[in-house]
Amino acid sequence: MGVVAAALTMGRYAISPGTLFEIISSVLTGKSIDEPLTTPFMVLFSVRLPRVIIAAMVGAALSVSGAVFQGLFRNPLVSPGILGVGSGASFGATLAIFFAGNTAWAIGPSAFLWGLIAVFLAYHIGRRGGNSVTSLVLAGVIISALFTAAVSFLKYKADPYNQLPAIVFWTMGSFNSAVWADTVRSSVLIATGLICVYVLRWWLNPMALGDEDASTLGINVPRARFIYIFITTLMVAASVSVCGNIGWVGLVVPHMARIIVGSDHDALIPFSALSGGIFMLVMDTLARILPGGEIPVGILTSLIGAPFFAYLLITNEQKGAWHS
Amino acid sequence: MENIDRKEPILSVNNLCFNYGKRSVLHNITFSVKRGTICGLLGPNASGKTTLLKCIDGVFTPNEGFVIVEGKNVSRLSRRDAARLMAVVPQQTTVVFSFTVLQMVVMGRAARLAHFRLPSIRDYREAESALDSLGILELAGRFFNELSGGEKQLVLLARALFQDTNILLLDEPTSHLDFKNQYMLMDVILSITKKNNLATVVSLHDPNLAAKYCDYMVMMKSGRLYKEGHKNNVFKADILEQVYGMKVIVENTSKGTPIAVPTER
Repeated sequence: MGVVAAALTMGRYAISPGTLFEIISSVLTGKSIDEPLTTPFMVLFSVRLPRVIIAAMVGAALSVSGAVFQGLFRNPLVSPGILGVGSGASFGATLAIFFAGNTAWAIGPSAFLWGLIAVFLAYHIGRRGGNSVTSLVLAGVIISALFTAAVSFLKYKADPYNQLPAIVFWTMGSFNSAVWADTVRSSVLIATGLICVYVLRWWLNPMALGDEDASTLGINVPRARFIYIFITTLMVAASVSVCGNIGWVGLVVPHMARIIVGSDHDALIPFSALSGGIFMLVMDTLARILPGGEIPVGILTSLIGAPFFAYLLITNEQKGAWHS
Repeated sequence: MENIDRKEPILSVNNLCFNYGKRSVLHNITFSVKRGTICGLLGPNASGKTTLLKCIDGVFTPNEGFVIVEGKNVSRLSRRDAARLMAVVPQQTTVVFSFTVLQMVVMGRAARLAHFRLPSIRDYREAESALDSLGILELAGRFFNELSGGEKQLVLLARALFQDTNILLLDEPTSHLDFKNQYMLMDVILSITKKNNLATVVSLHDPNLAAKYCDYMVMMKSGRLYKEGHKNNVFKADILEQVYGMKVIVENTSKGTPIAVPTER
């Protein structure tokens, strides 16, 4: 709550906590909002609130997806993008910018759709190639390479004055363009996905032991894997379609969570969701208030995430969050 | 009822054939196992012991023949139903993440939990008593990966017991254990087989271990069943020589356990 309140007040247009309180109480009591409060209300409601909501949702979605994929693929280095959802979404966004210009209405849906297509292709190639963890990861690498090449091609052909900067900025990842339409659409998808993963969280424990073990324990492994991949892909596609590729969160936050609460997905999944949401909110607020103008939050998560990860790795080595 | 249980095989393998692609791995295997007995699968490396265990559990589907468990054809069972009938102790489990021993054991409950449910506090309590029954309750809070080989096998055995099945399948459970722990583990397997009236199938590298602990033996050679039956009829020098391709003599220890010793070349 504190983080949310702080995130709402801080920014280019500062809103004092008192003003925030006044606005909230006016809204809650149904009073009309009058002159000195009109501008802060507008900033709060149409700019800052959707942004705060989507940042927290995306942080939770990426972290939970990372935790799910790391368990599913039995590899602590796997991130939610392993099956190519990020590169597919980048291609979708680039395609929209290239053909429809830098218009928000086309970018989000196109990124979402192509993110899903990329994972669908990777999943089917991986299934044909033996339906093992290795074949899925390899298929993800293949699909990512393909879509990354396609993005490069479009960048090369793009108009260097309007389209190219838009493409580059999108791929850096930012909540800058968060508007209510995108926020609501993505938040609903993410919330649905988070609830599904929360309900199914314990079953990731046997899945994390390996296909054969999970199978002898009574789990239909291909079906379970499909369900988890389907849910997380929807969440990640919904995330990247509003804010582009934000790196590191899906890799670092589940690790941090695993060091703190252990590997049992029973505790790991809810803790990842909570800490991922807070982490992203803090990062996005920092991205907005740092001197020298706003920077894309994707840069910040990597700049802060990577050294923080190194610190965790060194100081928590004995605790053993994973074994190689 | 108990009498019928003891007489009728609870597990039978019938004319089972299995191919990897075009290569025949198992050919025409037939044998059965009764409750309260241990059946040892013996044979040199690559004779098909592990594949046979996977066919019995239903992880692999046989190309011909079938496995009947408690009157049901295993190929037609869902994974969930199979796991309610048979528990497997794998040869070696490497776990990437740090699960505690208790978390590992409670996973044995997966096939009996309602969909979308997680294990309850009661399930954790019962997992603790499964550990207790093997005398390793003090390991409950330890990380599985930090245990010794013998302790790991005991924990996996506790997980299999927690599955609460009548059939126990073990794939070379002693292969990573030292001399003492091999006998410790087999002692535990023997006592739970008798106490819980289980039908236990265990593949073993060491024929002498099988001679000491198993009631029945299935001798495999190149994917074929060479000889099966009560150990008194199977554990013989000429059969061991044919299966393993080496000269042995079989002697009896002072306690009457037969033991195979290679002869000088």
